[in-house]
Amino acid sequence: MEIAYYPGCSLKQSSNLYDTQTRDVCSKLGITIREIDDWNCCGATSAGKIDDFLAVAMPARNIGIAEQQGFTEMVIPCSACYSRTLVAQKKLEAHPDLKNRINDGLFRKVNGNLKVSSILEVLARIPKKTFKEKMTKKFKQLNAVCYYGCMLTRFPEDVPVPDDVENPQSMEQILKILGVHALDWNYKTACCGASAAMNDPDTAMMLMHKIIADALERGAECFVVTCPMCQLNLDMQQDKVCEKYGINQRLPVYFLTELIGLALGMSIQRLQIDRHFIHLADA
Amino acid sequence: MATALNYDPQASNSFLEEVMSRSGQQLSACYQCRRCAAGCAVGDGTAPITPDRLVRLIMLGQKEAALSNDLVWKCVSCYTCGTRCPNNIQTGRITETLKKMSKEAKQAPHMPTVGYFHDSFVKSGLRWGRVNEMEFMGMYEFKHLMDKFMEKDYNGIKNEIMDQIRFALSMMKRKRLHFDFLTTSGRNEVKRLYKKFKKDQKK
Repeated sequence: MEIAYYPGCSLKQSSNLYDTQTRDVCSKLGITIREIDDWNCCGATSAGKIDDFLAVAMPARNIGIAEQQGFTEMVIPCSACYSRTLVAQKKLEAHPDLKNRINDGLFRKVNGNLKVSSILEVLARIPKKTFKEKMTKKFKQLNAVCYYGCMLTRFPEDVPVPDDVENPQSMEQILKILGVHALDWNYKTACCGASAAMNDPDTAMMLMHKIIADALERGAECFVVTCPMCQLNLDMQQDKVCEKYGINQRLPVYFLTELIGLALGMSIQRLQIDRHFIHLADA
Repeated sequence: MATALNYDPQASNSFLEEVMSRSGQQLSACYQCRRCAAGCAVGDGTAPITPDRLVRLIMLGQKEAALSNDLVWKCVSCYTCGTRCPNNIQTGRITETLKKMSKEAKQAPHMPTVGYFHDSFVKSGLRWGRVNEMEFMGMYEFKHLMDKFMEKDYNGIKNEIMDQIRFALSMMKRKRLHFDFLTTSGRNEVKRLYKKFKKDQKK
C-alpha cells in the first residue's frame, strides 16, 4: 500500500539528508511512500503562537491534498509537522464550522479519513522478520540513548498518543533489532528548546546541557532522534553548550534512519552522515 | 507580585473568560497542585512565575502581569505542564494565547526576539507557501538588529553579525545552508482563506 509523504520545509533545506535517508530506508524496507503534490508549510510551532486560524488552515490544505490524491495514510518525519498536522486534524473534527469555513476556500477539501503518522510509527510496525531479512550488518557494542523530544508524545490537544507518554519505547525496540544497546535515561522526552536556540539561546542551552549531561552520565556514545529540529540543535549547538557548561566529551546525534540505513548496508556517504557537526571520532 | 487586595471581580472575569475561550482551557478547574510547575522545563529561569502562578494571575485579572512575564515568553511549548495536569489544563496553550493577546494589546513584547522569530517564520511560510530558512532568518535578524540600532548598541550589532557569519559558515561547510528558493504554487489558497477570516472577524 502506498503511503503519502509530507517532507516539510526543513527536509527540503538544512535537513535534506533526512529526506534522502527516509526515502532510501523506506524503499529498502518495502514501504512505498509518495510525496504529495504542491504541499505548503504547516506553520510549525510558530503559527500556534501567532494565529490560531492559520495553525489549522495551513496543515488543512496538506491534509486535503493527501486525501484527494487517494491516500489513507500520510507519514511525516519532522516531529513539528507531524504534531501540527495531527492537532489541526483533531481541531477540524471537533469544530465542524471551522472545517466548513476552511473547506470553502480549499481547492482540495478535507474529508477527515486520513491517518497521520510519524516516521517512527511507520518504522515501528515493520515486522522484525523484515528487518532481519534485509539487514546486512548488525551493530555491536554501540550504546545509544533514544531522544524523542516533545512532539512525538505530548500534544496541545487530546489526540491518541501512539506510544507511552513519559517513557516511549518504539525507538528502543527498533534499535534492539539492529543490535544497538539502548540505555535507560531520564531526558528522552525532555525539550531541546527548539527555536529558542535562535531567539532565547540561554534557555535553549540550559535545556540542552541537561540532556547532554545525563546522556554522558549513562555512558551513551550517541543520541538517536527522529526530529530534524532536535538533531540540528543538539548537533550544531553542542560545542557551544558544552563549552558553556564545562563538558569535555561530545556525542554524535544520529537520525534513526541513519542507523537503520547502516544496518541495511548503505554507506555513510549515501546516507550523508558526513554532513553532521559531531562525528563518532570526535566524541 | 499580584495580591488579592487589588482584585476587581468584573475586570478579572472578562479577562479570565477571554483567555479560557481563546485557549480552550478550563482554567477555573485549577486547584493549584503544582504538578505543572514541577515539570516545567523552563521553570527554573522564570521565577517567580510558574504555570500555576500564571493561572492564578489570570484568575485575579492581573492582565498586565499575565502578559509580560518570563514564563509566557520563555515557554518552549513542550506541553509537559498540560500533559501532567490532573484537570487537563494545557498551560502551554495559555502562554501561546497570552503572546497573541499581548501583540493585539499593542504591548511591547516582553522578549522581542521571541515575537520577531515566530512572526518572521509564519510570514515567510504564508508568503511563499514554504518557509525559506535564509529569508526568514534574514527577516528575523533585521528586526532584531534594528532594535539594537535604536538602542545604539553598536557593539551588540557587531557581535550578533559575527555570530551569524560564524553560524552560516559552519552550516555551509556541511552543505546545510540551502540556496534554492522554495515555493508552493497554491499558496494563495491559504492566503485568501486568512484574509477572509480576518475580514469576517472584524464584522
